[in-house]
Amino acid sequence: MGTVATADVKKPSFVRDWLLTVDHKKIGIMYGVVCLLFFFLGGAAALVIRTELLTPGMPDVVPQADMFNQMFTMHGSIMIFLFMIPMLTAAFGNYLVPIMIGAHDMAFPRMNNLAFWLFVLGGFVFLSSLYFGMPDIGWTAYPPYSIESAGLGLDIWVLGVHILGLSSILGAINIIVTVFNLRAPGMTFNRLPLYVWSSLITAFIQLFGTPALAGAITTLLFDRHFGTHFYDASAGGDPMLYQHLFWFYSHPAVYIMVLPAMGIVSEIIPVFARKPIFGYHAIAYSSIAIGFLGFLVWAHHMFVAGMPLATGIPFMVTSMIIAVPSAIKIFNWLATLWRGSNWFTTPMLFVTVGFIGMFTIGGLGGIFLGTVPVDIHMHDTYFVVAHFHYVLFGGSMMAVLGGLFYWLPKMTGRMYSEKLGKTVFWMYFVGTNLTFFPMHYIGMMGMPRRVFQYDPANGMQIANQIASFGSYLVGAAAIMMVVTIIVSLRSGAKAPANPWGAQTLEWTVSSPPPEHNFIEMPYVTAPPYEFGEAEEQYTPKKSFGA
Amino acid sequence: MDFSWLFPPAINDMAKQVDSLFWFIASIAVFIFVLVEMLLFIFLVRYRRKRPDKQGIALHGNTKMEIIWTLIPALILVAIGVFGSQMTYAIQTPPKDVYTINVTGYKWRWDFDYPEGFKTTNKLVIPEDKSVLFKITSGDIVHSFWIPSMRLKQDAVPGRQTQFWTGPSEKGEYPIVCAEYCGTMHSMMLAKLNVVSTEEFDKFVQSGGKAGGSAADGAGGEGQTLAEQKGCLSCHATDQNKLVGPGWGGMFGKDVKLSDGSTVKYDEKYIIESIIDPAAKTPEGYSPMPPQQVTEEEAKAIAEYIKTLK
Repeated sequence: MGTVATADVKKPSFVRDWLLTVDHKKIGIMYGVVCLLFFFLGGAAALVIRTELLTPGMPDVVPQADMFNQMFTMHGSIMIFLFMIPMLTAAFGNYLVPIMIGAHDMAFPRMNNLAFWLFVLGGFVFLSSLYFGMPDIGWTAYPPYSIESAGLGLDIWVLGVHILGLSSILGAINIIVTVFNLRAPGMTFNRLPLYVWSSLITAFIQLFGTPALAGAITTLLFDRHFGTHFYDASAGGDPMLYQHLFWFYSHPAVYIMVLPAMGIVSEIIPVFARKPIFGYHAIAYSSIAIGFLGFLVWAHHMFVAGMPLATGIPFMVTSMIIAVPSAIKIFNWLATLWRGSNWFTTPMLFVTVGFIGMFTIGGLGGIFLGTVPVDIHMHDTYFVVAHFHYVLFGGSMMAVLGGLFYWLPKMTGRMYSEKLGKTVFWMYFVGTNLTFFPMHYIGMMGMPRRVFQYDPANGMQIANQIASFGSYLVGAAAIMMVVTIIVSLRSGAKAPANPWGAQTLEWTVSSPPPEHNFIEMPYVTAPPYEFGEAEEQYTPKKSFGA
Repeated sequence: MDFSWLFPPAINDMAKQVDSLFWFIASIAVFIFVLVEMLLFIFLVRYRRKRPDKQGIALHGNTKMEIIWTLIPALILVAIGVFGSQMTYAIQTPPKDVYTINVTGYKWRWDFDYPEGFKTTNKLVIPEDKSVLFKITSGDIVHSFWIPSMRLKQDAVPGRQTQFWTGPSEKGEYPIVCAEYCGTMHSMMLAKLNVVSTEEFDKFVQSGGKAGGSAADGAGGEGQTLAEQKGCLSCHATDQNKLVGPGWGGMFGKDVKLSDGSTVKYDEKYIIESIIDPAAKTPEGYSPMPPQQVTEEEAKAIAEYIKTLK
């Protein structure tokens, strides 16, 4: 009998069980843990920056100006390359995509493990620049400054980005092949859970975008060490070429950080509203539109970079158009909440009050920046900082946290405390708004990005201080989140297979799921969000009678 | 309504137009924001779950509604795009009869070359009644020339010339900021814009750029003006703070340890020598200052100024 046989099998060692695993769920969890560690590092850098900006004058928290510059470089690079992109695409993607489509694992499980370790290696190389001299070039690393930037810091940084890019491409290939080839019988494209849709589009963006970034930073390295002149104007090169290449990746990268977040929102809302998602096809296909248009807007980062202004107009148009698919999603989510039966769990708060509420502010801020004449004033100011933090921190991060709490019972087999979870949410929500809303004003009044010194007139110092105190609250919320997770792991109630009453496949198996996910191959007969009662049964009178 | 507390003062027509475009977008944005947040709030509260097993309505979509809320934002964005494009062309096209000033960014100062053949540093003086065209480039890396009060900004890119122009503007003193990150002292790459009357501007031109600045009074006043204008203060603090270079405060008359181990007295002779030939005697812990365009006489004035600093 099977039971007798398994009793003899030795429990595999930690190394074999986790570090060398090819189980997509374990790889996903490892990604998540490492990403969160990096999140704390990047967050610490942010707190140093905000503390420095409590006072308008000379660097007084960091010992020198250069260190301030290194701090915002590390903050940006870590948050983008080591937290947000891998967290959304690799941590959530690995855990969810195979199990949501009814597959036993990723298409290439060993490559999956390789991609994870490349990510760890890339992160390690990145951080080793702490030892070799941190780069101070900003996460954009514009030449010629980045070419003359002294020391090994930038070279290490470039090497790190290369390794991370490779990991990211491998991950993307894995997701694309998995979604195309390993869907369970009956799992048609029109029955794909919306998170899988958004992951698939994101993987295509990674696949097509990352090589442009690799090209940009490789030529940068060549200019630094091998005597080429790609970006040296005095020898016929052009610094703007780098900006074109860089943003050709880095604008779509914004959608790498937003689309999966939108996918998470689309998963959570129908479950807790007990309604089918409103306009499934519009939400799925608007992701395709975003993925495609994402490659046509890069030059809106360069309206004042030296192109003739009129060259910006086509990019203004595409930047306006790309707002439409995002607006469609927002309205569809709102319509999903309409006449729903909305259950305020922590994940639901994160994706409704959190994501919808704050992503809207970020998106609307983008309209100002997409309009050339207004952008001329706003470009490279704190208004931009406010905008993208509302998108990435008020938006993506809210979805990450919502998703974390939503799938935590599935991953660990333990429920979390709603009380603690909601505390985390409100701390995050208040802190994020306090931190980033005043930055709109700070930028409009004339404070550029990446400065440690500003004019204390016009209430600028007060606004900066509000932002700084808000950031401390966010820091406290991050610690609170870890506490909540630890409490859940140690003393959370045992999680049933489907605590939320959701309909996607990961909830049909035990919490945590068994190895290879499904004992029996699932057969899919319906779309993933078949909630709700027909209109006639909906009226309260009849339900009470029943 | 007066919203000047949200922006620096608008000193020319273009800035006022940009502001009105801003408010046009802002009113739409506020409307959409209020709409979305209100619907969100109402739906969440009105349709909150009252019984644990309560289901929502089985509504999968409504094509007509979806088309409406796709088209309306699209049309609004088209309108913003049209206004934006018109203004973009206006900003790009300077009038024929225009006074041209060449602007060059360096780490970390702004040089202004006037058509009469003289140059100022970190001090831009323009007449109030003329259209002025700024032709902008960089001597080293990418900077960004930003006059917040004019809502105008263009990157200074080595090997390229960018430009923007302004019509008549209002008298006064306004900040000029570097908006593109350019290394260690990026935060302190600041200059002053002085918009002056026509007569004052003529005097400024006749003096070869010397008049019209805000000259400081008292001992070392000339040196202070020079230190500001030559960009010295981007790297040297007037107190004892260590920036890129050593702070000037309280240094005079003390001994300085040099990178080769020897010591030298920090006096007038040493200061002048260090300005003219920066690589000769570098203080310990610092790298040599890049070559400066300062005459011996000017260096003397700066030394006088350093003498007064405590």
